[in-house]
Amino acid sequence: MAHQMHAYHMINPSPWPLTGALSALLLTSGLVMWFHFNSTTLLIIGLTTSLLTMYQWWRDVVRESTFQGHHTVVVQKGLRYGMILFITSEVFFFLGFFWAFYHSSLAPTPELGGCWPPTGISPLDPLEVPLLNTSILLASGVSITWAHHSLMEGNRKHMLQALFITIALGVYFTLLQASEYFNAPFTISDGIYGSTFFMATGFHGLHVIIGSSFLIICFLRQLKFHFTSNHHFGFEAAAWYWHFVDVVWLLLYVSIYWWGS
Amino acid sequence: MLRNLLALRQIAGRTISTASRRQFENKVAEKQKLFQEDNGIPVHLKGGIADALLYRATMVLTVGGTMYALYQLAMASFPKKQD
Repeated sequence: MAHQMHAYHMINPSPWPLTGALSALLLTSGLVMWFHFNSTTLLIIGLTTSLLTMYQWWRDVVRESTFQGHHTVVVQKGLRYGMILFITSEVFFFLGFFWAFYHSSLAPTPELGGCWPPTGISPLDPLEVPLLNTSILLASGVSITWAHHSLMEGNRKHMLQALFITIALGVYFTLLQASEYFNAPFTISDGIYGSTFFMATGFHGLHVIIGSSFLIICFLRQLKFHFTSNHHFGFEAAAWYWHFVDVVWLLLYVSIYWWGS
Repeated sequence: MLRNLLALRQIAGRTISTASRRQFENKVAEKQKLFQEDNGIPVHLKGGIADALLYRATMVLTVGGTMYALYQLAMASFPKKQD
């Protein structure tokens, strides 16, 4: 059996980059078919194939690491760089929406009444559900840190409990935000206020859902004994992403909900 | 009645713990053996027949979907004239 003389990971040929790229084509052309030709077939196929690709690709990463041992210290270092760079790219993504918000709100045009919030817009009270949501995400930051420390100390039961609490708080945030969306007195088409509000908070909500899904996967992996007390990068990556989601909310809360009201 | 209640509690405890014990046992070593077998099978198919089925289904949907997308593109590029 051939053995490598280096610590790097030479992966097996994989079909998932191809299926991922093709499913991106199906998603985008699916949107076109939905918007312009009233057909959802392509979009549904696209959603299905992108979910299948993600499931199998990440399943393979777990196999390569936990079951085949390919994630040496060097490989892990590369993965850390990768996750940090990815989160940095997401920071720039949100920066754009914050730019749009500040561009419009710092110098409101005469068409808006020369004021912010614009004339006719009744903003949400920052001291009600938005403040509760802030405390929920802050608390989830504490619980995920507890989960990490429990994991490092080898306390399986506490790790599962703390991670469960973190996920529950994330789900609670999502449900509260969904009800806020449903009951809001303004919509996305209510001028630039509505656009900036829903684009910024909407993409944030999507990231909460992505982060919660990542944490749920970590919970299942912890149940299956995949993590050890000194090797659990998947969990660390999920925790970094979760803290990023929390920070974006804090910025949203201070800028749009508080200063913007 | 209290004695019966205590007996029931003991039995229930025993049944649940035996049933769930297999579910939460550490099976990583078995998986490591399966995925480190020197059989030349790539990692995305190494888990067994379910891998092959899922791979085939994904390929059929993506390639088929791509052909469908290209067909729709062709149809949209040449709109039917209204009489």
